[in-house]
Amino acid sequence: PAGNGEMQPTRVLQLLNMVTPEELVEDEEFEDIYEDVREECSKFGKVYDIKIPRPVQGNTSGVGKIFVRYETIESAGAALRALAGRKFAERTVLTSYIDEEKYVADDF
Amino acid sequence: AAEERRKKRRSRWGSEDSKVNIPGLPTAITASMTKEQLDTYLLHMRLEEIGRKLRTGDYIPPERERSVSPEPIYDSQGKRVNTREYRYRKKLEDERHRLIEEAVKRNPDFKPPADYKRPTKVQD
Repeated sequence: PAGNGEMQPTRVLQLLNMVTPEELVEDEEFEDIYEDVREECSKFGKVYDIKIPRPVQGNTSGVGKIFVRYETIESAGAALRALAGRKFAERTVLTSYIDEEKYVADDF
Repeated sequence: AAEERRKKRRSRWGSEDSKVNIPGLPTAITASMTKEQLDTYLLHMRLEEIGRKLRTGDYIPPERERSVSPEPIYDSQGKRVNTREYRYRKKLEDERHRLIEEAVKRNPDFKPPADYKRPTKVQD
């Protein structure tokens, strides 16, 4: 919770505007999306883990967002710059960081 | 079977040289924001994107991303109602409608885009 200014870079990349809740319901489609994300994000460094919240049991928290934790902050930064503005299924990708503690606690 | 499907499937990622750059709407967000601010920004960005697609008629995805066509539905004159163009346009209009409702909920002073019409039932 910093004030105005720049966000503190972390090693967890946040990808926005990539998927709709409907696309995450079916297992097959979900796995395809997961694989697309893993494959592309691995180009920027070693990926530690990935979270793609799904709309299950009325959960809407973080649904539509995709989180990729890298081994280093540098890799997350490279991905943040390279993937911003790219298209994913005809939608424009927005990138940001998220605090690692929030990521671990599923607080998105 | 899953392996076969994976091979046939193409990535959803667009090419690196088709990056989007809209002045005033950064795509790499490094300014400090709360989750609510970020979600609001995202909402406006997507509304802008949908608005642009609807205005320019750019809403039919490339062949590889198309879903399976549903059974055709015809009106009383025998004209097909659920054409590809109609279906994709309707999908974006429905999404826009949901996003505008969400934007109004967040900010009652929110002004919907000038070309926004509430979605209507089947028409041709």
